Amino acid sequence: MPDKSLHRRDVLSFATRGIGALALTDLLLRDSHASKQEKPTESQVSWPHFPPRVRRVIQVVLCGGLSQIDSFDYKPLLHRYHGTPLVSQQRPDVFFGQVGLLRKNDWAFKQRGQSGLWISDLFPHLSQVADELTVINSMYAETSNHTPATFQQNTGFRLNGFPTCGAWLSYGMGSETDELPSYIVIPDSRGVPAGGSINWSNGFLSARHQGVVLRGTGPPLDELFPAEPIRRDTELASRELLAGLNQRHLQKRGNSDALLARMRSYELAARMQSAVPVVADLDRETALTQRQYGLTAKSTADFGRSCLLARRLVERGVRFVQLFSGGAFVSPRINWDGHENMIKNHGREAARIDRPLAALLRDLRQRGLLDDTLVLFTSEFGRTPFAQSSASTLGTGRDHNQNGFSVWLAGAGLRGGMTYGSTDDVGWKSVDQRVHWHDFHATVLHLLGIDHRRLTFYHNGIQRRLTNVHGNVIKTILS
Amino acid sequence: MKNAAASLLLPYLLIVPLSVSATQPPTNDALSWDAERFDREIAPLLATHCLRCHQGTSPKGGLDLSRRRTALAGGESGSSIQPGEPAASLLLERVEASEMPPDKPLPETARQRLRAWIKGGAVWGSKPIAPVGPVVARRAGKDWWSLQPLSRPALPDTQHDAWVRNPIDAFVLRRLRDAKLTPSPPSTLPSLLRRLSFDLLGLPPTSEQAMAFAEPPPGDAENHLERTIARLLSSRHFGERWARHWLDIVRFGESQGFERDKLRPHSYHYRDWVIRAFNADMPYNAFARMQIAGDVLTPDDPQAIIATGFLVAGAYDEVGQSQRSQAMRAVVRQDELEDIVGTLGQTFLGLTVQCARCHDHKFDPIGQHEYYQLTSAMAGVRHGVRQVIAPSTKQRQRELTRELSELREQLRRLEQSAQNRLLATQTGVPENRPVRAQPVARWDFDENQNDRIGQAHAVQHPAARRDAGALILDRNTGYAATHPLGFRLQAKTLEAWVQLANLEQRGGSAMTVQYLNGQKFDAIVFGERQPGHWMAGSEGYLRSRPFSATAETSTNTSVHIAITYQPDGTITAYRNGKPYGTPYRSDKPLVFPAGKWMVLFGLRHGAPEAAKQMQGLLDCAQLYNRALNASEIETSYLLETHHISRERVVDALGPVQQRQYASLQATIRLREEALTHLKGFPVYAVTPRPPAVTHVLSRGSPTAPGKIVSAGGVAAVPGPPADFGLAPQASDKARRIALARWVTDNHNPLFSRVIVNRLWHYHFGTGLVSTPNDFGYNGGRPSHPELLDWLASELVASNWSLKHLHHLIVTSATYRQASLPRPDCLRRDSDNRLLWRRSPQRLEAEALRDTMLSAAGQLNRQLGGPPYQDFTTFVSNSQFYRMTDPVGVPFNRRTIYRTWLRSGRNPFLDAFDCPDPATTAPRRAVTTTPTQSLALLNNSFVLRMAQRMAERITRETGPEPRQQASRAILLAYSRTATQEDLPTATRFIRKHGLAAYCRVLFNTNEFLYID
Repeated sequence: MPDKSLHRRDVLSFATRGIGALALTDLLLRDSHASKQEKPTESQVSWPHFPPRVRRVIQVVLCGGLSQIDSFDYKPLLHRYHGTPLVSQQRPDVFFGQVGLLRKNDWAFKQRGQSGLWISDLFPHLSQVADELTVINSMYAETSNHTPATFQQNTGFRLNGFPTCGAWLSYGMGSETDELPSYIVIPDSRGVPAGGSINWSNGFLSARHQGVVLRGTGPPLDELFPAEPIRRDTELASRELLAGLNQRHLQKRGNSDALLARMRSYELAARMQSAVPVVADLDRETALTQRQYGLTAKSTADFGRSCLLARRLVERGVRFVQLFSGGAFVSPRINWDGHENMIKNHGREAARIDRPLAALLRDLRQRGLLDDTLVLFTSEFGRTPFAQSSASTLGTGRDHNQNGFSVWLAGAGLRGGMTYGSTDDVGWKSVDQRVHWHDFHATVLHLLGIDHRRLTFYHNGIQRRLTNVHGNVIKTILS
Repeated sequence: MKNAAASLLLPYLLIVPLSVSATQPPTNDALSWDAERFDREIAPLLATHCLRCHQGTSPKGGLDLSRRRTALAGGESGSSIQPGEPAASLLLERVEASEMPPDKPLPETARQRLRAWIKGGAVWGSKPIAPVGPVVARRAGKDWWSLQPLSRPALPDTQHDAWVRNPIDAFVLRRLRDAKLTPSPPSTLPSLLRRLSFDLLGLPPTSEQAMAFAEPPPGDAENHLERTIARLLSSRHFGERWARHWLDIVRFGESQGFERDKLRPHSYHYRDWVIRAFNADMPYNAFARMQIAGDVLTPDDPQAIIATGFLVAGAYDEVGQSQRSQAMRAVVRQDELEDIVGTLGQTFLGLTVQCARCHDHKFDPIGQHEYYQLTSAMAGVRHGVRQVIAPSTKQRQRELTRELSELREQLRRLEQSAQNRLLATQTGVPENRPVRAQPVARWDFDENQNDRIGQAHAVQHPAARRDAGALILDRNTGYAATHPLGFRLQAKTLEAWVQLANLEQRGGSAMTVQYLNGQKFDAIVFGERQPGHWMAGSEGYLRSRPFSATAETSTNTSVHIAITYQPDGTITAYRNGKPYGTPYRSDKPLVFPAGKWMVLFGLRHGAPEAAKQMQGLLDCAQLYNRALNASEIETSYLLETHHISRERVVDALGPVQQRQYASLQATIRLREEALTHLKGFPVYAVTPRPPAVTHVLSRGSPTAPGKIVSAGGVAAVPGPPADFGLAPQASDKARRIALARWVTDNHNPLFSRVIVNRLWHYHFGTGLVSTPNDFGYNGGRPSHPELLDWLASELVASNWSLKHLHHLIVTSATYRQASLPRPDCLRRDSDNRLLWRRSPQRLEAEALRDTMLSAAGQLNRQLGGPPYQDFTTFVSNSQFYRMTDPVGVPFNRRTIYRTWLRSGRNPFLDAFDCPDPATTAPRRAVTTTPTQSLALLNNSFVLRMAQRMAERITRETGPEPRQQASRAILLAYSRTATQEDLPTATRFIRKHGLAAYCRVLFNTNEFLYID
């Protein structure tokens, strides 16, 4: 039996001592009677399982469904078929049931950077950092219904109640800092995604692995400071009295890890109170940086703040930062769900994020952070190569497409400037080297030094995993 | 640690001997092979090392090693076993090359045994190996501990020990002695009171109770305790406490989840039902039966319908269920059934049946077909809101209806006598005519085109005119139509008085009822098919046939035409009160659903055009919602012709009768109004639909249906038969009743073991089995298997009284132990699985909030009813919730009455480990985090409660800090203050105020932990 007192200091400072330490963290920070699982879980194997290439993650989540055809999946043949019906064995079974004529990309594609990666004019700034990107063009999802698809993108499952990737990492790796939460969410300033906090849920993991929402304006975190003003001397005296009462209680109660942990958590709380306002204060950045992130332009200011905040957070050791581009399905639209008019919709949404995102990648690279930070750019599914309109007409919008879509990754351990997998001639279905979210998650965990089959948590009869019982690491894209 | 764990498992090993391959004696090649030897030596080996992948509907490599035929047939790589030829057997080749099993090669002895078996002819056993084989190292079989019939273990010798208060203690003491441990001394009375109060009510003792326990009457402590326990068990707050635990298990949420996350304002009835059931100590088997099949077992009992809220307490994918793609809808429905079936299995049986949706259960003896048998039993279950009505309300409805019909009869008799007198004097017809039938609408066009009875007013199109009390019908603009009418119509009578402008016209209608789009209709049509004849018009003549009457002869004089539509399809016409030709039988009358139809005058149907319009005058029209008989029609004709209106009839009554008439009318109006107010109320519950036949779905996919199954249970569960004897087409009712019987059967050992373990879990912090939802191979093993069985059998014997179990537990010496740590015991059993003390427990989020409310004197103890909302909400396609901290008495209710949203979680409660209501939470995590400390220091509710508590104490004790501190300590800790507490407290209060002191108390470990 390990000597708990030896480990406690490490655990209580939330130091990264691997999944073994994490299991202990969970143990020590829980009442001793709320016992660990009786059967040893594989997650008690130390993290990392093998040397990690990256240590933290920024995920950009595009809500509504990014059109792969108009962004990263270049389909020259679509120009020839433009305005003709899709030739297919089966009538496409799409979400809104309307299958119009094939529609070519609305933004011109060019080869970018040294690598010659194909990116359309939808993302002119991102195109300038093309060599950083590892594009997967052969994604497929299990549903073309937004919210279950979004759940699957983030948790591996289509249902409510499963932990997101960020929660898994918080559970599996802990945090690099004891001043900030390990999993932070920055929603789109226009609104949270459909399903709200379900999108950053801890699921069956303990509630402290839930994503913590950080706001760009106003108090960054809830309950960081007293809801009513309290005199400084009273606050100090209160903390002192509290420490004294707890100390006396502890002496009477004898040795107790749980009681000690709670006492220690008040010290950590105090450190968080000083750290959070600093990290959220973007005025500490130079005017040049603010301009580069687009904080000075109206269309990019919102997402620019999110990106800059994300960099400041990972810089200080936050494990997983999740940025949302787009909110719920309201009218007028505030996300990428371009059913009616692609040019208007995707044009507007891309203009919000293109420059900030490019600035983020450059900034991370410049500061050396990209050497151990992973950036993910994902969307719950793609869009159809044919217009969403009645048969034999050429509408201006596109419906949901679960059969083929694109995502990209950037950061250490990856081969930059490459594309992996492909869809058919028109970008309707992934055909070559198809990638499921389970494979994607397995690869992300792999980069973090985690064997996805060994990051588990016992829940209701199953050793649960982010990747369910599937998932293959995409070795080809690793450097 | 390892040793401690092993020793915990010892008793289990004693009762269920493992038959693991490693324990087998070395193979003796000389022995010949038979089925028995296969079962003994080879089956466990295959089951342990191979079957995890190589069995079921989609075995790895296509190789299924669970049965002889498939094993010999081989897989994708060809034949795997050549009987008698080890060298030619691919299976052995892969094994000996250490390629299989892939993760851990077979030990040499096992390889030898396999080789010997193949050499000996690869003789197979009596039956397929899995899923009901013996317990093996990697999965459970039929002889798994939890699947053994319930026993009633004899009490161990320790029962005579002085420490033992009841049988629980005898079992616990026996295990302690075996492990060379001793129980802790009993807790102090104040600690015990606080423990009991939180365990049973989730609330602290009142200050009076705490005072009474601080100084119990000498020699009376035991009695006092016994009385206190009885009082707590009968408190109405008991149900609230234990219902919260239950709601955790059944993933109770009050919004839909998924994209829309709509509020479910009618789901709170289920919470109230659980609270009432626990308070009333409803027998646990009935409690379960109601939740599975209450609505079909006792359909007249609203409470039984409410109870089925259990099945639909989970999330509902509204967008997914209504999407265009039928294939995707089917997947969503299967996901929903998995949620329902999975929750049922875990809640009542500790079986993770949902793991068998795509393949046979990997660890427990549950076949994939059995998952679908359970799914078939649930196939009629659908989410929804249904109207229920209380029996007392129903009774009142019946009474009122009966009273109304009597009153109407009296009114009718009064009216009839006067009416017939008038008729007789005016026309000389005999007096025995029935009273006029009551139309649902009447248009007399005298002053306007309004309905004289209801709200079915007609609108002229576009410039039709009235003249001399008639509507002018012409072929241009002359017709009228009502708005859509809000009642259902099927059997009916159309009646009109019409003056035809000419007899040549064809195809016009005097009166029509039609669907709003005009595509279906019934009408009084003139001359359409047969010149000069009246006809019952309908779309495509569907219900139209000639009446074989004489041709019309009257123009410019009022002709009375009526057509009746009987429920059996008989259509009869009348002219001037007499039968018009011969009735005929058509299809059943068309249904006009409420709100989907209207009345037209002058126009046959649909859009106006000359060929469908009548020329003439419409004097009057009446619509009845039934088919009148000949006598009623004649009366109507006579009364109208002779202008004997109802007013005239009433005028003809004598003064006494008139008063009587008026009084009757008033009473009828009152009763009718009372009746409309006697409605049921909506509840979120099972709204069953006739279930389809269930197929086993290969890999769980609706696109790959396999064989058909009937509703049934799991065969590995002993006791009630898993075959319900139902056809695959059986009704929802039959299926669910059979399932409820199977689950709650006295001989189903899982049903009782699982619930007593849950009670134990909530009383002690850890169950006798540490995984309350999983009694399978992946779950924990019982720390006290005999105690578990003894408690389960005691529950059955007490007619499933949960309160009996609670009482046994909290009156045991085991429960009463002090919670102080003892280093020697900690070393040997750090988790306290052997119960050498009572483990301290941290207040759960709800208890924490309730306790602050209670200490502040703010707790609103209202029992049940609609929940409070600590959020604002708006709907913009999806429903959004913003958390607030509302102030006021309605919000100071116990936290169980919070509206439990799926996307709107309360950060304060979350900080203290409130589980996500999207998934079942059989045990809560207990964590300690800085955000938790920040919440307790800074949250607006906490600060407000500290302030209120200070105000309360000042009110109760005055301004003296020393008294204030004493009182604050009593309220927060349920104990009296000591000399150690007071000096610092008094100094602090003087300088920083009482509210600041209360805030500190809320943050202390002593407040947050229950010893």
